[in-house]
Amino acid sequence: MNLWAYVLRRLLYVIPVILGVCFIIFILFNVFSPDPALLLLGKHATASQIVELRRELGLDRPWILQYLDIVKSAFTFDFGRSWSTKQEIFYMIKQGAVPSLTISLPSFVIASTVALSISLLVAYFRGKFIDKAGVFLCVALMSISSLAYILFFQWLLAYKWGMFPIAGFESGFPDFIEYIMLPLIIWLILSLGGDVRFYRTVILDEIYQDYVRTARAKGVGERVILFKHVLKNAMIPIITQIVIQIPFLILGALLLEAFFSIPGLGGMTLSAINSSDFPVIKAMTILSAIAYIVFSVITDVLYTVVDPRVRLS
Amino acid sequence: MKLSNGIRTWLVLLGVLLSSTGCFKKKVDLNERALNLVIGADVKGMDPIYANDAYSSGEIARVYEGLLEYHPFRRPYTLVPNLAEKLPSVSEDGLTYTFKIKKGIFFHDDKAFSEGKGRELEAKDFVYSIKRLADPKLQSLGWWLLDGKIAGLNEWRKKYTDKKEVDYSEKIEGLQAIDKYTLKFKLSKSFPQFLYALAMPFTFVVPEEVVKHYKKEFLNHPVGTGPFILPQFNQTKKIVYKRNPKFRKKLFPSEVSAEFKGKGIEKYAGKTLPIIDKVTVHIMSEPQPRWLKFLKGGIDFLSIPKDNFDSVITPSQGLVDDMAKKGIGLMISPSLDVTYVAFNHDNELLKNVHLRRAMSLAYNVQESNKLFYNNTALPAHSVIPPGIAGYIKDYKNPYIGQNVEKAKEELAKAGYPEGKGLPEITYDSLSSTVSRQQAQFFQKQMAKIGLKIKLQTSTWPKFQEKITKRQVMLYGIAWGADYPDAENFLQLLFGPNRSPGANGSGYSNPEFDKLFKVASILQDSPKRTSMYETMYKMAAEEVPWIYGVHRQSYVVKHSWIKNYVPSDFNHGHVQYWDVNLQEKVKGLEKL
Repeated sequence: MNLWAYVLRRLLYVIPVILGVCFIIFILFNVFSPDPALLLLGKHATASQIVELRRELGLDRPWILQYLDIVKSAFTFDFGRSWSTKQEIFYMIKQGAVPSLTISLPSFVIASTVALSISLLVAYFRGKFIDKAGVFLCVALMSISSLAYILFFQWLLAYKWGMFPIAGFESGFPDFIEYIMLPLIIWLILSLGGDVRFYRTVILDEIYQDYVRTARAKGVGERVILFKHVLKNAMIPIITQIVIQIPFLILGALLLEAFFSIPGLGGMTLSAINSSDFPVIKAMTILSAIAYIVFSVITDVLYTVVDPRVRLS
Repeated sequence: MKLSNGIRTWLVLLGVLLSSTGCFKKKVDLNERALNLVIGADVKGMDPIYANDAYSSGEIARVYEGLLEYHPFRRPYTLVPNLAEKLPSVSEDGLTYTFKIKKGIFFHDDKAFSEGKGRELEAKDFVYSIKRLADPKLQSLGWWLLDGKIAGLNEWRKKYTDKKEVDYSEKIEGLQAIDKYTLKFKLSKSFPQFLYALAMPFTFVVPEEVVKHYKKEFLNHPVGTGPFILPQFNQTKKIVYKRNPKFRKKLFPSEVSAEFKGKGIEKYAGKTLPIIDKVTVHIMSEPQPRWLKFLKGGIDFLSIPKDNFDSVITPSQGLVDDMAKKGIGLMISPSLDVTYVAFNHDNELLKNVHLRRAMSLAYNVQESNKLFYNNTALPAHSVIPPGIAGYIKDYKNPYIGQNVEKAKEELAKAGYPEGKGLPEITYDSLSSTVSRQQAQFFQKQMAKIGLKIKLQTSTWPKFQEKITKRQVMLYGIAWGADYPDAENFLQLLFGPNRSPGANGSGYSNPEFDKLFKVASILQDSPKRTSMYETMYKMAAEEVPWIYGVHRQSYVVKHSWIKNYVPSDFNHGHVQYWDVNLQEKVKGLEKL
C-alpha cells in the first residue's frame, strides 16, 4: 500500500477514536464526577447561585447537547475557558507546553541516547563484570522511588553544594539552562535503569541470532556486528519504546514540575483534576488521544524505514 | 595519558555548563529594595470579583485597593480609610453609609485610557465595581458578601439573570455616586459587618473602560490604583510587581499597638509608601523547595513546613540556636480559625445529644494537637477563636475530651452502653495524607468507648458534594475567618444557613437562631458581645460539632525584612514592609 494512503487511512481512525474518547469523558464527568458548581462557588455557595452557575456553564442542558459540545470542541480545538482560572484553554496549553518541553525534550533525548549507549556497552561486555555491574546498578536505580531522588538531589546539589537554583524557571535562551539542569539530571537517573535494561534485553536478543554467528564466522569485527547489524535489527522495539513516549513528553513531568516550580502542563492538568475543571481535563484528554494516534502512525512508518521487510497494509 | 577528542569536547561542555550554573551566586542589587515572597498555589487571575482564595486575593491587593483597609500594626484588627477620605458617616438607623473618597487618586497607566494615561478615580467607579460583583452574567465568587444587603441590588441582579445584556447604567437605590467624590450605600437591612466587606478584595475598585477594553482578558490586565504595578498577568510560577511611580502620597502610620512597639516599626512613621521598589512572588506548591529556598535567602519569610517543625522549634517554643545565629527570627501569631468534626444533624442517630457528647468526650484534643499541629494550636472550646469579641477566654467546655469514663456514661445515657446496639458510624475526610491520618486518629479515639467508625475518603469536590447532599454522618473540616467578627463563625451554626450554605452540619436550634438574627444586625456594642457570649456557650454545650483547635501560625523570617507582622487580613500590607539591603548582604553571608 502507498505510504500516504496508509497514513491517511490511519489518521481517519482518529475520528471514531475521538468520538469514543469524548463519550468516555462525557460519561465520567456527568455520571461519576461531583457537581463542579459547588466547588467553583466555594464555602459560601447558596442553592440559587448553584442553579445560576449550572445554567451559565450549560450543565442544565440535555445530555446529548453537552456531548455534542465536547465533540465540537475536539474537532475545532476551541476548548473555551477554564472554569477555575477563567483563562482561555488553548492559550493555557500553549503557555504550558513550552516549559514542559523545555525540560522533557532535552531530558528525553539525552536519557535515550545515554541509555542506548550504555546498553550497547554492557551488551558488548555481556556476561562480564561491566555487564553484571550495569544490570545491578539498573536494578538499584529502579528500586528507589522518584520522590526520593528529587528530594535528595534538590537538597544536595541545589541547596548544599549550590550548583543549581533550588527551583524556578525562566523562559528564553540561555536563561532557562540553569533551571533545567537539575531536573534533567534527575530525569536521566530516573529513566536510566528501566531504559538500559530494556535496550540491553533487545540487543541481547539479536546478538544470539544466527546471522550474528554467521557474521562472526566470516570474521566481521565485534564492533561492526554490534553497531551495523545488531543495532539496526533491534531498532523496531527501540523505536516503539522511544516514539510512543513522545506524546507524554508534552504532558510534562508531574513531580519534577511540582518540585522545581516549572509552569508546565503536568501541573496544569493536576490542578484541573483537583478543581474539577472539566474544560481543561477534556482538552488535555482529547489532545493526548490525538497525539497518541499520530505518534503510533509515525512509529509504523518508521518501521518501514528501518526494516524493509515491514510492509504497510 | 591522552584524552580522545570526543572526551575532551564533552569535558569542555560540562565545564561551560557548570560555570553557567553553580559557579556563580546571585548578588544583592543595592539599588533596588526587592522583596521575595512565596505562595503555595497558583493564582487564578487578577480580577477582584473572582478572588475567593487567599492566594488570589493577596495578589490582587497589591494592585487594586478598596475604600477601607485593616490597620497593619493595630490589634484587635481595626479598619481605617484607604481610598476613602475618612470612615463613613452612618445614618441613625444604621442603614445609610456615606463615603467621601480621596481626591487626586489615579489609576495605573494603560492603553485602555485616553492617551494611555490613568485617569482620576471617581465615586462612580465604585458603583460600577459593586455592580460587577452582582452581575449575573459574570458569576462572581464574592456575591455572597452583598447578597440581600444593598437596597435594589438583588432586584437588579434578578432582572438581568435571564436577559442577554446587563444594563450598568440603570440606577440602583442603595448604590449611588452623589457627586464625583461622594458615594452612598443604602442597605436593605442592618448589616454591621458591611464595612468589613469594603476592605475585602471582592469590592476593590476597577476602571470601567479597562474592563470594556480587555473584555474576558481583563483578568490578565490588572489596572488599579494600588502601590504596585503588574503590566500583564501570566499563569506562571513567578509574578513580579514594580512600584507604582504615580502612587498617591500615602504615609506610614504613626500609631502602633503595644505588642508591636520596640520592634523598629515606629521609626518609619511618616515615611512615603510603598517603601520597597519591587515584589517578586514565587509560586511553589511543595514544602521542601520552599524551605530550602528560604534557608538560602531566596525567600524573605516563610510559614514553617510541618515536616521541618521539630528541627527548627525547641520544646520551649523558641528557635534553635543554629537558626538564631543566622539572624533568622520567629513570629508566632494566632490564626482566626477553628477545626472541627461536624455531625450531620439531619441524621436521626446523631440527633441524640448524649451520643454527641460521648463522642466529644472520647476525642483527645491534646493528643491530636501534638500529633498534627506540633502542639502549637489552642484547643477550641467553642466556635469563636481568640482575638474576636465574643470569645470567652477562661471558658471550659464541659464536653471537651478526653474523659473516657464520662464519655462512657454519656454513651449509656444515649441508650448504647459500651456502644452496644449502635450501628456503624461513617467518618468522611479528604484523601490527603494528613486528613487520612486525622481520620485514623479519630477512629482510634472512638474505639476506646466501643464505637465503630468506618472511614471514607474523597477528593475535595466529592467531599463537598457529599456534605451538600447530606451523604455524610461525621466529617472533619476547618473554617477560616472572612473578617474578624464573631458573626462569621456563629453563622456556621445558624439554621437557615444550612447546606449548601456555610452550615454544613445542618445544626438548627431555634433559640440560637433567634439570638443570631438579633445579634447579627446589632452594631458592635457590649450588648452584642454579651449575646455572642451566650451563643458561644450554647454552641459549646449542645455539641453541634466535636471541637478541634484554633491554629497558630509559626513564621520564620530573615533579619533584613522589616515591619512584617503576620496577619489574617494583610491584603495590601506589602507597601508597609521594607528590606534592609546592607543587612541582607551580611545575612546572606551567614546562610
